[in-house]
Amino acid sequence: MAGLDILLQNVANGVLMGGVYALIGIGLTLVFGVMRTINFAHGDFVVLGMYSAVLFNALLGWDPYLSLLLAMPIGFFAGVVVERFILSRVVDAPPESALLATLGISLIIGNAILLTFGGEPRSVQVSYASSTFSIAGVNVSMVLLLAGIATVIMIAALYALLNRTEIGRAIRGTAENRLGAELVGIDTRRIHSIVFGLGVMLAVMAGVTLIPLLFATPTNTGAVFTLKAFVVTVLGGLGNVGAAIAGGILLGVVEVLGASYFMSEYREAYGLIAFLLILLFRPEGLFGRTVKRV
Amino acid sequence: MPNVLRADGITVKFGGVTAVNNVSLSLGSGEILGLIGPNGAGKTTLFNAVTGFAPMHSGRITLLDKDITTLPAFKRTRLGFGRTFQTERPFEELTVLENVLVAAFLTAGRRSEAERLAMGVLEQVGLADRAHQPALDLNLARRRRLELAKALAVKPKVIFLDEIMAGLNPPALREMIAFVRSLSAQGLAVLMVEHIMEAIIELSDHVIVLASGEKIAEGTPHQVTSDERVIEAYLGTD
Amino acid sequence: MIKHLIGLGVLLAVGIAYPAIFPNNLTIAISVLLFAGWATSWDLLGGWNGQVSLGHASFVGLGAYFVAIGQSQFGLAPWWTMAMAAAFAAVLGYFWGQLTFSLRGPYFSLSTIAVAEILRLVAINEEWLTGGATGVFIATLPEPFGIDLFSRTAQFYMALAFAAMVIAIVIAISRGRFGYQLRAVREDEDSAMASGIDPTATKLKAFMLSAALTSIGGGIYGIVLAFIEPHVIFALLLSVQIALTAIIGGRGTIWGPAVGALVLVGAGEMFRTTFAEANMLIYGILILVVVLFLPRGIVGELARRHIRRLYAKRAQG
Repeated sequence: MAGLDILLQNVANGVLMGGVYALIGIGLTLVFGVMRTINFAHGDFVVLGMYSAVLFNALLGWDPYLSLLLAMPIGFFAGVVVERFILSRVVDAPPESALLATLGISLIIGNAILLTFGGEPRSVQVSYASSTFSIAGVNVSMVLLLAGIATVIMIAALYALLNRTEIGRAIRGTAENRLGAELVGIDTRRIHSIVFGLGVMLAVMAGVTLIPLLFATPTNTGAVFTLKAFVVTVLGGLGNVGAAIAGGILLGVVEVLGASYFMSEYREAYGLIAFLLILLFRPEGLFGRTVKRV
Repeated sequence: MPNVLRADGITVKFGGVTAVNNVSLSLGSGEILGLIGPNGAGKTTLFNAVTGFAPMHSGRITLLDKDITTLPAFKRTRLGFGRTFQTERPFEELTVLENVLVAAFLTAGRRSEAERLAMGVLEQVGLADRAHQPALDLNLARRRRLELAKALAVKPKVIFLDEIMAGLNPPALREMIAFVRSLSAQGLAVLMVEHIMEAIIELSDHVIVLASGEKIAEGTPHQVTSDERVIEAYLGTD
Repeated sequence: MIKHLIGLGVLLAVGIAYPAIFPNNLTIAISVLLFAGWATSWDLLGGWNGQVSLGHASFVGLGAYFVAIGQSQFGLAPWWTMAMAAAFAAVLGYFWGQLTFSLRGPYFSLSTIAVAEILRLVAINEEWLTGGATGVFIATLPEPFGIDLFSRTAQFYMALAFAAMVIAIVIAISRGRFGYQLRAVREDEDSAMASGIDPTATKLKAFMLSAALTSIGGGIYGIVLAFIEPHVIFALLLSVQIALTAIIGGRGTIWGPAVGALVLVGAGEMFRTTFAEANMLIYGILILVVVLFLPRGIVGELARRHIRRLYAKRAQG
């Protein structure tokens, strides 16, 4: 029975962590699905979100969730600017150019944060940081639960945007077939800007919800989050927003179970191994048709 | 005439669709075989299957009595296949000479030897004066000739020409027809997919007509052009 | 060809004289030479063959660890362990390539990050092998012909020999069969096959050679550092630095990666006081400049303009 309890606890932790991973992954997957661009700077935008919470907390004493009110629109705007001035110019270049451009953006963000905030890890103290409550003998962390709720709300909002609005229809049309979308009068350049803005907004949001849980450091964490986002999206299916949720939860559970039942020091590796295996053996199923073309 | 190339019962399927169904062909040295048919008839697919660029469902291919059915494309090239691509595919970052060098290095061990072979082929196709130009800058007719030069530089026994006449203006077309004839005169076996009937009729010793992946007629150019099924197949698609 | 050999002669002549002229600036020169060598090795695969790896730090780490562990635990001289590292790196490159060369373009790049990260985790966690996160220390080194390998001058000459060797290898390859096979596969795999080239075998050879050469530079780096920590030497950022050095300098050109090393290490040094440890900012800015304005990199763009000018002249005359 004890074994089952532990298993349940682990699965619960994995699922909750997976919710956060899903939130990180959705933005990347949305951008890839529509723009066919692998955004290497995604994790750095997550870190930017963490630091925005740190900043608003230090200046105004705001709770991280309150700072979302400002951080999300700013993130959206920053994404639009980056797309307009950089990515829109490489959209028709070989796919590597976009990868390299976003790699450059990643280095600039990480190092700009380093210059501004210094290298020490930063965090925001909140009263509920370590509070937990238990459901049927399973302990649930308050922070993770809040992040999970935020993820669910965000996904619902995104789903509504994509399926119930005119812009959502245009986004889906552009993702399906850019040329075709243009033929029916959709301004796909504008759609690309909006989508990248949304992608950055989601990354920033993920960062804000993570700050009560994790320390923010300027350069390394960005790469870690980018990798996690890749793992989530490849596990779920790059370009498929719904599947990113499954991918996030899968990664959370794989990491937690791998760490508790095999070798805990390889926690990070399990996701990467799963990533490689899927990239190599199920690319068509999880990437759609895109992998063969590039 | 002894067969250089034999393909028996070639069938190609994409998913559930049969693109080429049980087509056979054979080709002797110095012989020109024309492959015609309406758009979507499976000509290029058959062509790609024989050269190893498309996976085959069933069939058997021999080159000089050696079974090459399961060999990858590059090994078929090494044994004596040369091919052009329907949309020309020069190595764009390389010069014209370097493009041909890539192929010449297949048989030439040393740079000087490869260069001599490549220049010889460029002279043959009339591109020698363009040797040091970036391949990216060539116009259509010259890109075609570069394709030919690349295919010839591997010293093939069979050459596969995929619509090399398409889009050429009349003088360039005449030149190309004369050139293909000179290839067969040198003993090369030529398999050509072509839409330009003028070229097919003038050049082919033998013609195979495909429609919807099936061989519907075979014979001399004169025989197939008067065949009712062929006329119907062509008219039926228009 | 002659031009490149003269260039190599100049590099060696300047290099041999350098320690006498600038005895106080050896560390930065070692950095330039190591990055020049690594970026040139990377470029065999990434530039000449078009397979952008973001995992080459693995081979740097491999070389450094072979030298450090060989010396500290088995008393093996660095030249033996560097040879072993090169052989092992080639074998690793072979299996790594077998695993990932079915992927193309950005997907190949992503897979190299994943493999390199897994190798980094192995280096950090397998303490029996690598000393774990605390690292390995090289306390003693042999003294061949009475040369103290801990001296910066000796290390400078090792780095010079490494960079010159790699560049010489690329010069030799660039004009021969293998060089054209590499480029043909980069440009168009189908068209390469039509020329009788086996794309996978070509990519594997490029990866193996690139990996082996990189690991030799890694061995020298291990001696220079004397203390090797896995999170430093296996870092994703080092992989990124190596790749960006070559791309900014000019992919698929003989001197591009070396020029890239000079520019980037030089710029890093110049802004050291301004940016402190945020010196990767320069890489970020320069790669954006290259992607947006100089897609062939510094040397590649110069070479292209030179060819255009020559060609325009000939067309007129």
